Amino acid sequence: MADLQAIVARVKDALASGTAPTNHSAAASASPAAAIVSTGNRAELVSSFGRELQAVGGRMIGPVAPAEVAARIVDIARERAAKLVAVGQGLASDMNAIAQALQASGVAIVRTGRVDSTTRGAMREQLAHADAGVAEADYAIASTGTLAVLSDEGRPSALTLLPPNSIVIVRIDRMVPDLAAAMAAFGPAALEAHRMTLITGPSRTADIEKRIVMGVHGPKSLDVIVVWPQDD
Amino acid sequence: MSTLPKPGNFFEASEAGAADHELQRKLENASTRHLDHFAHTRAEFSAYEDERTASRQIKEDSIARLDELLLALIGKLKERGCAVFVASSAEEARDYIVDVARKSGSKLVVKGKSMTTEEIGLNPALEKAGIEVLETDLGEYIVQLRNEPPSHIITPAIHLSKEDIGELFHEKFGIPYTSEPERLTAEARNRLRDSFLRADFGVTGVNFAIAETGTLVVVENEGNGRMSSTMPEVFVAVMGLEKVIPRLADVSHFLEILARTATGQKISTYTNFISGPRRDGEVDGPREMHVVILDNGRSAMLADPVLREALYCIRCGACLNVCPVYRHIGGHAYRSPYPGPIGSIVSPNLVGSAAAHLPFASTLCGACKDICPVKIDIPRILLHLRWKEASSSNPPQWPRSAEMARWGARRFARMARHPQLIRILGRLGALALRPFARDGWIRKMPPPFANWTKIRDFPLPRPRHHETVAGKDS
Repeated sequence: MADLQAIVARVKDALASGTAPTNHSAAASASPAAAIVSTGNRAELVSSFGRELQAVGGRMIGPVAPAEVAARIVDIARERAAKLVAVGQGLASDMNAIAQALQASGVAIVRTGRVDSTTRGAMREQLAHADAGVAEADYAIASTGTLAVLSDEGRPSALTLLPPNSIVIVRIDRMVPDLAAAMAAFGPAALEAHRMTLITGPSRTADIEKRIVMGVHGPKSLDVIVVWPQDD
Repeated sequence: MSTLPKPGNFFEASEAGAADHELQRKLENASTRHLDHFAHTRAEFSAYEDERTASRQIKEDSIARLDELLLALIGKLKERGCAVFVASSAEEARDYIVDVARKSGSKLVVKGKSMTTEEIGLNPALEKAGIEVLETDLGEYIVQLRNEPPSHIITPAIHLSKEDIGELFHEKFGIPYTSEPERLTAEARNRLRDSFLRADFGVTGVNFAIAETGTLVVVENEGNGRMSSTMPEVFVAVMGLEKVIPRLADVSHFLEILARTATGQKISTYTNFISGPRRDGEVDGPREMHVVILDNGRSAMLADPVLREALYCIRCGACLNVCPVYRHIGGHAYRSPYPGPIGSIVSPNLVGSAAAHLPFASTLCGACKDICPVKIDIPRILLHLRWKEASSSNPPQWPRSAEMARWGARRFARMARHPQLIRILGRLGALALRPFARDGWIRKMPPPFANWTKIRDFPLPRPRHHETVAGKDS
């Protein structure tokens, strides 16, 4: 670290010695923070989200009422032949109800939560062996079919990364039109989490002759359940 | 840098590339596919030009107050619990990372794709310290198995066909030969999954560093960047000092253009916003996070008012895909982790004198400038670097043929002022060359012009050509 001052000084000198092409310090300011749009646009947002998600190899289910979510997840788990499902903690959704419904259908469950140095390894091992992970997203972005997921102790990033099938719930009131609106909605506060991930479709590669293959290091499938409460 | 596949200097390596028609077929195939995707995603996005302009402005602003932004970034990173190391050279960066790996007792390093770590020669240094290094981006994994460096900054194995990769996997892993990308990818996934869970040290590059929040943005498609930055106990992010941008709100503009130009996607599959090590009680994320901020020639670029613009680059790789020279000779010929047009302007400063003649390896056609999402005037910078190199106290050592071409050009410039003389000499030249020509083309010139026709044909000069089409290409 001895060099920090020296290098910043070097950068400063370098800046002084050449004139910048143009200085736009005031340019490109943030979009106005009008993130969460009115009900009128929601149908449009959902259809755009679904179309874009499908274009990148994901699948949208819904919109469904909150009470239907658990049953839909049981269906997806059956379709994906999942025997062990990891269920994260939720935001607005009742993850306990989902875990119970899965269990009732004969699926084994892992619940995520606070760990310490003695339990971390075992938790990770279980997540690595799960056939599917169920998580709730903080935001969805309609123009690109993207989910934004923050990490914390009940909602590890591994939940949407390690299991080969990813099931994500998102509430209609968390849907924003585009990336700029998403950045405004997050605000710097969202980055208090040590990690936020934007997820757009299943993991993929085009490294062999630019041919697209789904399911590299992350999930092979991504199902997104959009929840639209009746009274909302 | 990793082992270089081709011996000799740029001239020899580019000749070898130019003579490799199989390589050109593969590059043509991949580049065309890529440019089709790009054209499509750009056409359906009406705000593309606006986002491009906004991104350019943010880069101009960021670089113009880089000192201030760097200090802000470093302060925030530390607040978030990251160790920050500012390295003035590749060697300092390398030594620091090897030291962190040693002190943490790490045995296995998993890496996301990062050209900056290629620039500092990280892999050989870690291996020398007895630490196993595994590239986990599929393309990087493939070229690492072949013990060669990447040949493209976005698609490292662009120079290989699916059959090449099928044979490689067959030979290295003893699996039955297949050229199906799906099966090859599944094989790599299975082999790397265990390593991700075992690895104690992760390394990735950085696309953007947000000064206001101390957040690093890492963009990827496969999930290996997520793995490398969350699974191991120790995580090191390596970034050039030009990657800093002021605000979170700035990121969306770059995300709107980066994937479109880099891969023809609207947005990459994963955009990771990393703000420090894991908090108490969390399952994943590193216990210890380090950020290495690298100068290694960048402040010298900053001090040059023309070259400064090259620091706006977001490493999308689009200029490689459109470049006629890159598509002809391939990435390895450049002998730098940064090939193609952008490589030709940054490598002389980042890689050193071995890359000094790269600015001359261009036709100045301008395709790179047209496609660049942050509108870098690459041809202008190429000319500037040529001028600098030619007027330096230690000008490049040219092969004899280049000296002769220069001599010829000077003579021609003098003659061109006399139309009569040109006409007479043109006729004489055509007459003298006629015995070597067939159908108006010369396939093999006599010495001392033989080099010209080694890789291309020469048209037989036609009478009256210069008088009738002056200023136009025939």
